[in-house]
Amino acid sequence: MSGSERLGSLAWACAALAAGVLLHIDRLPGWASAAVLALIAWRLLTARSGGWFPGIGTRAVLALALVALVLARFHTLNGLAAGTTLLLLMASLKLLETRSARDELVIVGVGLFLLLAACLDRQNLARTPLYGLQAWLCCSALAVVACPDLRARAALTLAGRALLMALPLALLLFLFFPRLPGQFWAIPRKDEAITGLSDTMSPGSIVQLTASFDPAFRAQFLGATPPPAQRYWRGPVLHDFDGYSWRTAAQYGLHDPIHNAGTAYRYRVTLEPNRRRWWFALDTPAQSPDPHVLLTYDYQLLAAEPVTAVVSFGGLSYSRVLAQGSLDPAVQRLDTALPGSANPRTRALARSLRQQAGSDAAFVRAVLDYLRNGGFAYSLTPERLGANSIDDFLFNTREGFCGHYASAFVALMRAAGVPARVVTGYLGGEWNPIGGYFLVRQSDAHAWGEVWLEGRGWTRVDPTAVVAPERLNRGIFDMMPEALSARERLLRGSAWLTNLLQRWDATNAWWTDHVVKFDYSRQMDLLERLGVRAPDTRYLGWAFMLALCVWLALIAWYIGRSERTAGPDALARAYARLCRKLARIATPRVPHQGPLSFAEAVIAQRPDLKDPVQPLLERYAQLRYGPELPGILEEIEQFHRAVAQLRLPVK
Amino acid sequence: MAGRAGTGPLARWNPFAPLSALARERMLAWMRRRQGLDHLPVTLGRRRLYILPTRAGLAFAALLFMMLLAGLNYANSLALLVTFVLAGFALVVMQQCHRNLLGTEVSAAIAPAVFAGSLGKVQLTLASSAPLARRQLEAALPNGALVVTDVPAHARAQLELPLAAPRRGPVRLERVRLSTAHPFGLFRTWTWLHAPIEMLVYPAPRGSLPMPTESGSRPGSRQIHGKGADEWADLRAFRDGDSPRQVAWKAYARGAPLLVKEYMQGTAELKEFDFAQLAERNVEARLSQLARWVVDAEARGERYGLVLPGVRWPPDRGPEHRHRCLAALARFGLDERL
Repeated sequence: MSGSERLGSLAWACAALAAGVLLHIDRLPGWASAAVLALIAWRLLTARSGGWFPGIGTRAVLALALVALVLARFHTLNGLAAGTTLLLLMASLKLLETRSARDELVIVGVGLFLLLAACLDRQNLARTPLYGLQAWLCCSALAVVACPDLRARAALTLAGRALLMALPLALLLFLFFPRLPGQFWAIPRKDEAITGLSDTMSPGSIVQLTASFDPAFRAQFLGATPPPAQRYWRGPVLHDFDGYSWRTAAQYGLHDPIHNAGTAYRYRVTLEPNRRRWWFALDTPAQSPDPHVLLTYDYQLLAAEPVTAVVSFGGLSYSRVLAQGSLDPAVQRLDTALPGSANPRTRALARSLRQQAGSDAAFVRAVLDYLRNGGFAYSLTPERLGANSIDDFLFNTREGFCGHYASAFVALMRAAGVPARVVTGYLGGEWNPIGGYFLVRQSDAHAWGEVWLEGRGWTRVDPTAVVAPERLNRGIFDMMPEALSARERLLRGSAWLTNLLQRWDATNAWWTDHVVKFDYSRQMDLLERLGVRAPDTRYLGWAFMLALCVWLALIAWYIGRSERTAGPDALARAYARLCRKLARIATPRVPHQGPLSFAEAVIAQRPDLKDPVQPLLERYAQLRYGPELPGILEEIEQFHRAVAQLRLPVK
Repeated sequence: MAGRAGTGPLARWNPFAPLSALARERMLAWMRRRQGLDHLPVTLGRRRLYILPTRAGLAFAALLFMMLLAGLNYANSLALLVTFVLAGFALVVMQQCHRNLLGTEVSAAIAPAVFAGSLGKVQLTLASSAPLARRQLEAALPNGALVVTDVPAHARAQLELPLAAPRRGPVRLERVRLSTAHPFGLFRTWTWLHAPIEMLVYPAPRGSLPMPTESGSRPGSRQIHGKGADEWADLRAFRDGDSPRQVAWKAYARGAPLLVKEYMQGTAELKEFDFAQLAERNVEARLSQLARWVVDAEARGERYGLVLPGVRWPPDRGPEHRHRCLAALARFGLDERL
């Protein structure tokens, strides 16, 4: 096949590949996407001018070099990102030996494979149209490769129509094709840096989080909605303190015997993938929502696997818990530990305040008073702390945000021998009136303290609320608009835009809930609602076959019908239709009446309709009895349309 | 440079070739029995169209299967949705491909007679009576190359399928394969046309013996076509089998198409070409010589007759007479097996 003949199809195959690259461009190393796009451009240019092709030796060396580069960058060839990069590079090398239609098909196949990889990577609503476009492009490329003299427009129409006709079946399959309850194998995913709470907290770490506007999760309350001061979402609980950072500790299986009190809240949380094991629940969760999730003794929900896809679960929490017994001695030891002899002034302060206070509860109040009246300020850009970080914060800089206050508070408690721990999570959330849920963003990340009080058990104390009480009611950006980027400020500045954003988020939530999260259990729910008791696959199979046949028959009928263009029959049909229309307002045409005499008869009865009727009938006579000129089919089609649009007022 | 698969000797080697050839043979015989003999014009109906995925279609299916596995394994809804859309797409394509051939009318299949050693052809006329344009219709003879054409709506298109004619005699065509992979090339739908198509191959006009001038005269002394003997009358287009001696080479050198000089005999001589008079040559050579004479005599507008053992065509002229004579030569000694 000569080069010029195949240039069109080669260009389409290259376009499918390039579009696949664009789907991944923010995930690929820059050099890889640049290399692929450059190779595509070069291949197209050489195809036009008939330039130099590298021999097999050069290509082999190139392939090995690219594999080495991928290995150097990812340290593996397994996994989504490394695999995608490798596939892309190999496909662009394949371009260098692409000559036949078969080679081009391989390239289009790679384009489809990249689409699959993109779906596995991200399932946002915003990206879905891009996936649709890529499917369309690949199918059009397929059409051009199969028939190289097809014009671009024709190929796009052909593929677009076929894809549209496929949609009903796709929907059916999506709803009823049996899903798997679990995975049968897993690609190791690297823990890519995703913003979110982690198992350590240093005073500065949460500030980085607050800069991120990404959603952490959405929560929908099924009954009562807790007041703002109760909207603490519990995440990692930190016990180990090394003088600067807090860390999670080993888990104990023991649960304190507790008594749930206060208000019960039922809710549904849809968690965005965060590559961590924590599921966030309203403080304090009463039960584990899932057999694979452990409710730990310090009330974290810890999943067996990191959250790599959207998770949706129902939760039950109580606003207060009361301990029945005393604290486990091991936990007591863990939660009163302060390392070495650092922070001497903090220890001294704690001791003196504890002596003045009569009880642990009074001591907590005294510490909070100290923070309230000690000239402390809330700031997202505090100064860096020195070696004795708590001392430095309490007696020197006196400004910081939740991480600093929680850290200092818990350290003060421990210095006085009161068991205390740092809890990280989220506070608040933005109410979305359209979707009826709270959207909790990474910027709502928060840290607070918990102290063990005799007779009451673990009690939440939020020292930040003392310094900046408005933090309870408002998001961090309402408090500190200067922390917002210019773009976000613009977006939140107008009520209209805010509303639009909320609508968009609600749509996203719906998408996540109904499409992305449509899994095995949802499918079973749907079947049950349709009256199919789980899982009688035999009947389902028959029903499915029936539906498939119906769809196939419809498509066959539609294909036969829709490709019908104007022809002699179309002219007769249009004339019959015109006569039926005219019969409603005048004496019907008698069989021996020709079109022109029929026109005379109609106009004699309705002179007001001369303008629309006469030219139509004359046109029919011309088309039917006149010479068969080229372009007559188009004219017949026009006649057909004119008849369809004819409106005849009844007198 | 990497060779394309399928061209190397290794790719050609297939241990199952005899087996698959046998299966193919049986399948063809079955289709022949099933469909019966076609009498043109034939409209291709549903019962005789077969459809299977092409190699590209199989690769597409494999890709879809992989996508399905990945989507199921990771419970990834979007990957599944894409897979299902593409699966539906493939099924739509199957229907479109079937529809592209369904209802096509084969209005005529003619194989004009040719001389042995030249390339014959089967002229196939396809028509789309439905208001449906048909694209990329392929036709092929057994072991022949694909010939592709488009048929517009309410129109017809003619295809010429090349067919080698190495030996004289009638060539009967077992079948013609009509197929299409349009659009997308994922499926190929095809049918076999079992129409009684026969191509008659005349013996190649060969031999340099002079034409016998009159009935019964022995060939031997070469008669020179000089001035006065024949009057140069006209030029006409070259036809297969014309002698190169009669071609107007000077006109051809000036850029005119191949033309043949026609001569008019001053007196219409009666000639009779007798097979028996060429007794010293073998049969095929004799037939070729007779064909040569028939062609030359017809070209010059002479009247000529032909005598074969047991049959005689009295002198006459014109294309029909020429064909009768050449056909008799073509079929000479071959069984009339129908």
